[in-house]
Amino acid sequence: MIRWRIVALALTATLASLPACTPGESRVESGNRLGIFHIGNGSDPESLDPHVATGIPAGNVFSAIYEGLVVSNPYTLEPEPGVAERWEISADGLRYRFYLRQNARWSNGDPVTAEDFRWTYERYLTPAMGNEWAYMLFPVRGAKEFFSGDLTDFTQVGIRTLGEYSLEIELKNPTPYFLQLLAHSSSAVVHRPTIEAHGSPTARYSAWTRPQNIVTNGPFVPYEWKISRPLKVRKNPHYWDRERLRLNEIHFHPTENATTEERLFRAGQLHKTNTLPTDKVPVYRAANSPALRVQPYLGTYYYQVNTTRPGLSDARVRRALAMSIDRAAISRSILRGTSIPAFSMTPPGTLGYQPPAVFSFDPDKARQLLAEAGYPNGTGFPSFEILYNTSEGHRKVAVAIQQMWKRELNIDVTLTNQEWKVYLDSRDNMDYDIARAGWIGDYVDPLTFLDLGLSSNGNNNTGFADPHYDWLISEHIPAARTRPERLARFATAEAYLLEKMPFIPIYTYQSKYLLDPTIRGLPPNIRDHYNYRYITLGSAAD
Amino acid sequence: MTVMQAQTARPAGRSLWADAWARLRQNRLAFGGLIFLLFLMGLCLLTPWIAPYGYAEQNLSMGATPPSAAHWLGTDIFGRDLLTRILYGGRVSLAVGLVATAVAAGIGVLYGALAGYFGGRVDAVMMRVVDTLYALPFMIFIILLMLVFGRNLLLLFLAIGAVEWLTMARIVRGQVQALKNMEFVEAAVSLGLSRWTIIRRHLLPNALGPVIVYATLTVPSVMLFEAFLSFLGLGIQPPRSSWGLLISYGVETMEEYPWLLIFPGLALTGTLFALNFLGDGLRDALDVRAAKD
Repeated sequence: MIRWRIVALALTATLASLPACTPGESRVESGNRLGIFHIGNGSDPESLDPHVATGIPAGNVFSAIYEGLVVSNPYTLEPEPGVAERWEISADGLRYRFYLRQNARWSNGDPVTAEDFRWTYERYLTPAMGNEWAYMLFPVRGAKEFFSGDLTDFTQVGIRTLGEYSLEIELKNPTPYFLQLLAHSSSAVVHRPTIEAHGSPTARYSAWTRPQNIVTNGPFVPYEWKISRPLKVRKNPHYWDRERLRLNEIHFHPTENATTEERLFRAGQLHKTNTLPTDKVPVYRAANSPALRVQPYLGTYYYQVNTTRPGLSDARVRRALAMSIDRAAISRSILRGTSIPAFSMTPPGTLGYQPPAVFSFDPDKARQLLAEAGYPNGTGFPSFEILYNTSEGHRKVAVAIQQMWKRELNIDVTLTNQEWKVYLDSRDNMDYDIARAGWIGDYVDPLTFLDLGLSSNGNNNTGFADPHYDWLISEHIPAARTRPERLARFATAEAYLLEKMPFIPIYTYQSKYLLDPTIRGLPPNIRDHYNYRYITLGSAAD
Repeated sequence: MTVMQAQTARPAGRSLWADAWARLRQNRLAFGGLIFLLFLMGLCLLTPWIAPYGYAEQNLSMGATPPSAAHWLGTDIFGRDLLTRILYGGRVSLAVGLVATAVAAGIGVLYGALAGYFGGRVDAVMMRVVDTLYALPFMIFIILLMLVFGRNLLLLFLAIGAVEWLTMARIVRGQVQALKNMEFVEAAVSLGLSRWTIIRRHLLPNALGPVIVYATLTVPSVMLFEAFLSFLGLGIQPPRSSWGLLISYGVETMEEYPWLLIFPGLALTGTLFALNFLGDGLRDALDVRAAKD
């Protein structure tokens, strides 16, 4: 008797937890019926505080729950009105004046004002906040100084309110991509009263981000979040454009294992996956599946060289290594056509920029360079390690490159893999010879890739420090007057960087995922950026 | 029944080992297993001279191909010959399996026999040490060992062996405790044999059955353990491989390239079957009491 009661209890509990599911209906079907978008989101966001979280999973959530002054159009990636309904840019490109819409509301009904933005940006740049995105606002006059502590008075920074609904931002130099920075998911606006009600404004792990406390201004607002369970957001009842929203809810499913995620998709549990295992791509291609999406992505996969190690300190050696990698073979055979061979750090076509063609796959030239550096036929070259973070994909690329260097240059290489955080630590401490790395552009401009080579850049842990390159990036390029001139100077700088080769580009990323073919309004774009306001589910589109 | 009686029952004077060998040969499954293992080991030993391809030799443009005349078991995604890689992997896996198991059995048998034979306080202390070691998370222990001493294949063998001996020690201790009060041991004591001789000549041979069975079970778990460590980056590093690694890579692409899973899987399961048959047969052959039942 007792046993039956337990079974009955368990059944009731299961049913109660799935109120939206009628028997025999998959999650996608019930989602289509109820307007719930189920999306695979990789891992759990580390936080819902836009000044704390830096990962892509968090960014995907931020686009749904926050709205900045401007947002990106998912088709063109051009900035379009968000909280600001219009803006003016002064003729010298230094002053941006934003006019906020008066019907923008927080999820508790409060109006969104210019002061909210001013306070948010002050928090954004406060040194105690430790915001890793802070550099995104460095084009603003005084922002860098305020962040580094040289300036303590925020009124000296070029951000000020001009009344309740207008805001003026003043820049140091003309920055053509500045609106893109404001459209970035980290440039969200946060709710001061909520944050202050739950502790210090700069506390990194305060309770204000808990679903029961959080107040946001985006189209959606979180209402349920447990570790390793879907993060659920629902329509913000006060959102200014709520009439046009087609989705009622979005559930962000943490799916760290890509193979499992693919099975979930096949079982009708997800509308969209976060990624797709490389070896599955040919299967979906062969089946002509309408669900498969493979599209260029604004990111570069590269090997960074520790330029302080013997042998590797010689730029000729680094170029020889770069020239003896058969990128076409890697892209075709290992990555199954899901990537594009890269011969530059900046992906081609970044906002009309064509990177210079400085080198190609040329084993003869590579052997010659190696001989000039004092290692004919690889003799006497110190053996070194390729470090990568534990992952099937990285291992495959490393195994192929290991063999190419052995075959073309007769250099012995060993492979080492480390868990993600250990690997980051080794990289930061320059405790490696050559390490696998990837860089995803923060905005669509060559600078986001080329400033990696700056001696002052925290992500440049190669030991490469070149005054001429620093000058090119931080003085020569900002002084360009026209767009073509600016792009030409970028090409000069990139050619110089590729001569020195502290970074060996390998391929340009493509994003690959599965998407329910009945979904509308989720166009492919190079930033893999979604604007959930545009999305309609299968049933709604019919 | 005891060994002594079994020996007196055969006045021809065949030794325990010759006797066991004769029994083993009659057990077809076990003998077949032995032949299979010897054949495989011989093949793996000779691999560097007989393999038609190098284990790191890539042909990227060919990629993964199913079995063909040129590549009997097909190729992997790098276009490397799978047969060659299985043979090279077998060298690592068999060596890890045998060496680590031998280390574990060596330590475990000696430790367990001493604890069981002396009993009392010695036994209590020795077994509490084992309990303490049981409580340690071994994964972390091995990972620490590898970090301190660096990645070295021989060390990997020893490290795995050094953590696998605990259960063995308990089994042997139990056996020895049960045996040491039997008449033949008392007889040996009254004959004035030294303790060491009694343990070596009378107790251990009688405790061999469970040891052998447990050892054959240890071999596969050690092989899988090695694959796990290698996956974490602590064991074998590419381009070298082992069966465990080949299988774990094969699993990821089993729908696209099933042969990458099937053949390494067959090699491992074949070996494990052979080992189990052999272990079973050896126990029957060596355990006089069981044979008389």
